[in-house]
Amino acid sequence: MIRDITIGQFYPVESPIHRLDARVKLTLTFVYIVTLFLINSFVGYLFVIAVLGASIKASKVPLKFMLKGIKGIMVIIIFTAFINLFMTRGEQLLWQWGFLSLTVEGIVLALKMCMRLILLIVGSSLLTLTTTPIQLTDGIEYMLRPFKRFGMPAHEIAMMMTIALRFIPTLLDETDKIMKAQQARGADFDTGSLMQKAKSLIPILVPLFISAFRRAEELAMAMEARCYHGDENRTRMNRMQMHRRDYGAFVVGAIYLVVIIGLRYAGNTFSSLI
Amino acid sequence: MKMVKAEGLTYEYIKMLETDHGTEEEKVAALKAVDLEIEKGEFVVVLGHNGSGKSTFAKHINALLLPTQGTIWVEGMDTKDGELIWEIRQTAGMVFQNPDNQLVATVVEEDIAFGPENMGVAPEEIRRRVDEALATVHMEEYAKHTPSKLSGGQKQRIAIAGVLAMKPDCIVLDEPTAMLDPVGRKEVMETIERLNKDEGITIILITHYMDEAVRGDRVYVIDDGQVVMQGRPKEIFSQVERLQQYGLDVPQVTEVAHLLRKEGLNIPADILTVEEMVGTLCQFKLTT
Amino acid sequence: MSIQINHLTYIYNPDTAFEKKALDHVSLEIKKGEFIGLIGHTGSGKSTLIQHLNGIITPTKGEILLDGENIHKDKAKLREVRRRIGLAFQYPEYQLFEMTVYKDVAFGPTNMKLSPEEIHKNVVAALETVGIAKELYEKSPFDLSGGQKRRVAIAGVLAMNPEVLILDEPTAGLDPKGRDEILQAIKHLHEERGITVILVSHSMEDVAKLVDRIIVMHEGKAAMEGTPKEVFRHVKELEAMGLAAPQVSYVFAALKEKGFDVPLDVFTVEEAKSVLLDLVRQVKA
Repeated sequence: MIRDITIGQFYPVESPIHRLDARVKLTLTFVYIVTLFLINSFVGYLFVIAVLGASIKASKVPLKFMLKGIKGIMVIIIFTAFINLFMTRGEQLLWQWGFLSLTVEGIVLALKMCMRLILLIVGSSLLTLTTTPIQLTDGIEYMLRPFKRFGMPAHEIAMMMTIALRFIPTLLDETDKIMKAQQARGADFDTGSLMQKAKSLIPILVPLFISAFRRAEELAMAMEARCYHGDENRTRMNRMQMHRRDYGAFVVGAIYLVVIIGLRYAGNTFSSLI
Repeated sequence: MKMVKAEGLTYEYIKMLETDHGTEEEKVAALKAVDLEIEKGEFVVVLGHNGSGKSTFAKHINALLLPTQGTIWVEGMDTKDGELIWEIRQTAGMVFQNPDNQLVATVVEEDIAFGPENMGVAPEEIRRRVDEALATVHMEEYAKHTPSKLSGGQKQRIAIAGVLAMKPDCIVLDEPTAMLDPVGRKEVMETIERLNKDEGITIILITHYMDEAVRGDRVYVIDDGQVVMQGRPKEIFSQVERLQQYGLDVPQVTEVAHLLRKEGLNIPADILTVEEMVGTLCQFKLTT
Repeated sequence: MSIQINHLTYIYNPDTAFEKKALDHVSLEIKKGEFIGLIGHTGSGKSTLIQHLNGIITPTKGEILLDGENIHKDKAKLREVRRRIGLAFQYPEYQLFEMTVYKDVAFGPTNMKLSPEEIHKNVVAALETVGIAKELYEKSPFDLSGGQKRRVAIAGVLAMNPEVLILDEPTAGLDPKGRDEILQAIKHLHEERGITVILVSHSMEDVAKLVDRIIVMHEGKAAMEGTPKEVFRHVKELEAMGLAAPQVSYVFAALKEKGFDVPLDVFTVEEAKSVLLDLVRQVKA
C-alpha cells in the first residue's frame, strides 16, 4: 500500500515540453502561478485553461496522470469550497441557517478558489511530470546562484534534494518491510483509539529513524571516498544549454503574461463601466 | 613503488562503557601494528571474521580513517598528509558493503559521474569516462535507469563503475558481496577479476567468504587487529584447523581433503577446487 | 499442526503496467515437526510464499489451511495465526526498537495479550534458546554486536511460542561464527521442542546439513520437492534455475563421469569423507 505513493513522478516520453530547459520550465511555472492570482474574470480562467490544456496536449502526458495530483489534495479543495460557499457574506442571500449562509458571491468565490487550486496543482504537475528530478534540482541550483552572495547555500540545497529523491523509494520500501515485520510480531496498526494508533507507530518509526541515520552516515562516508567536498572546483557532466526552442518558450510565456495582464485591465474597465 | 604499504599501522578509539559507576572510557585497539605491502597489479584478499579489524584497515587505505600510530602509504603518499587527501582517494577508490547506501543520484549515469565531477574533470571527459566505466561493468543499457529499481548485484556494479570513472590505480572493496544473493555475488566477483586481469587495477578485497578468497593472488588473514597469516591461497587454506580457530571457513573440498589426510591418505593439503580434488582422486586410481 | 497450501496464486499490482505474478498455483503441505529448506533465486517467489503463511499477504487466489481451517476465514483469528506461525524476516535486527533487549523480545508476546508471567517465561526461554546471556537483558539492543542483534531479533519471534518458525535467510551477512551460532540454535529448537522450521537460504551447504525436506521455488512455482538426497542429485536442473548444489556433490558428479562407481547423493563433508575413504581403500585393495 505504501508503495503506491509516488513523488517526483517523472513521465518518460519524448515531447517538446520534455525537451525544454529546466530553468525555462521553472521560470514559466513561476509566471503561471503568479498569473493564477492575477486573473479575476471567467474569461481569464478560460484563457488559462486553454493555454494549460494546449501545454498538456503538447507534453504527451495522459491527462489521467495530471489529475492524479488533485486526488491527493481533494480534502483541501473540498474544505476551501465549503468555507467559501458558506462563510462568504454577500448581498444576494440565497439561504441561511445559523452562521451558515449561501450567497451568490460565495458561490462565485468558491468556484474561483477551487479553480485556482486545481490549476495550481495541475500546472506544477506538468513541471514535475516532464522534468527529471536531476534536471529540476540542477535548474533550481542554477537559479538560486544569484542568492549565493547573500549566503544562500544553493549547491547544498540542490544536493539535499537529489539525495532525498534518491532515498525516498529506499525508505518507503524499508517502511513496508518494518511494518510487515512488526505485524508478524502481532502489532496492530488499524484498530484502537487515536492515541493507541499513534503509539503503535513507535515500533515503525524508531527502526526507520535508526536506519535512516545509519544510511546517512554510510552515504556520507561513500561520498567522501568519492572526493566530494562541496561545490568548490566541481564540474558537471551535463551542462545546461539554452536552445532556440527555449527562447521560443520564453516568447510564448511573455505573450501569455501580456494577455493575462490585458485581460485583468480590460476586466477592470469593463466592470467599472457597469 | 608499492601500491599500499603499512608500517606499524595502529588504530585506537575511545569506547564509552556503561558500568555501575557511570560511564567509563576504554581505549580499544582495532588495528595493532599492522605491517604489509601490496604490489601494483596484485589481487589481494584480506580475510577475517566480523570485528577482526579488516574494515578498519580498508578505511585507512582511503584516508577515511587516519592511523593513531604508524603510517600507511598509498603509492608513496602518506595518508596523514592533508594536502594529498583527494589524490589518495582518487588513487585508491573504495566500494562499500551496502549497495543502497553508496549511490547518490537518481539516474545511473549521473551517479557514475559524481566522482569525476567532484574532481573537477571537464564535462566531455566525464561523459567519455562514464560511458567507458558502464561498458567495463557491462551495464550500458542501464545508463538512464534509476538505481532503486536495480538488483543488488547491479547496484554494486554501478558503485564499481562510479569508482572506475575516477581512474584509480587501486580499488578497495569492503565486503562488496555480503548483502548479495549468489547470482549477485557471481556478477560482482567476475567484474572484480576482470578489472584486475584486463585493466591491471590493483584489487584489495575485504571478505569473510573463503570461496572468494581462493581467487586472489595473495591472502592476509586478520584477527584481533593483527595480521596472523599471509601467503598464497594454497598456503593459507591448507591450514584448515588454524583458519577455523580464527572463526573462518575453508571450502568443502579442502575440508574433505583435510579429513582424508587425517585418516592417513596421502592427499595434498592445498586442494581448493572441485577439479583439483577430482584430479587427485583419479591419480589414486592410476597409481594403484 | 499442519499447513496445507492449495493453488496459491499471488499477483503484485494487478491490472497495472507493473503487474507481476509472484506465485502461480502453488500447492504444498508442511507437516508437524518437519524441518523444511526453501530455496530459489531472488524473485522466485519464496519471500512472497512465506509472507502468505502467516497472513501478512492475502492470496489473490487459492487458500492456506492451518489444521484444515482457512487462515483468512476469521479476521479476528489472524493474530492467533501470526502467533502460531512465527516469521523472522531477512535482516530482522532492523526491526529492533525498544530501550532494552528484554523489552524488545517482550513486544510480540505482549501484543498477543499473554499474561505477565507467561510473557516473562517466554522471553527468558527465547533468549536462552538463542544464547543471549542474562547480563545483556537490560542493555540497549543497539549496543550489541551484529550477530547478537540478529539473535535477539529472532528471539523476539520465538517468544510468541510459535508452533512453526519461518526464517528468511537468518544467516545473511554474518561471518562463519555468527552463522554457526544461529544455525545451532535453530537445530536445537527443532530437536528439543519439536517445532516445525521453514528455513529460507541461499547456502546449499547449510540446507544440506540441516533439513529433512527441500522445496525449490522457481518462477512462482514449486519446481522441485524432496529430501536433500533427492534434490541435490539434480545438479543440472538446479543450475538451470540459477541455483547450485553443495560443492562436494560436484566432486561425485565428476567422478561418476570418469567412470568411478560412486553414489551421486553425497553433499556433506562427513559423508564425502567416508565414501571417498571406502573408494580409495577399495582401489588399493
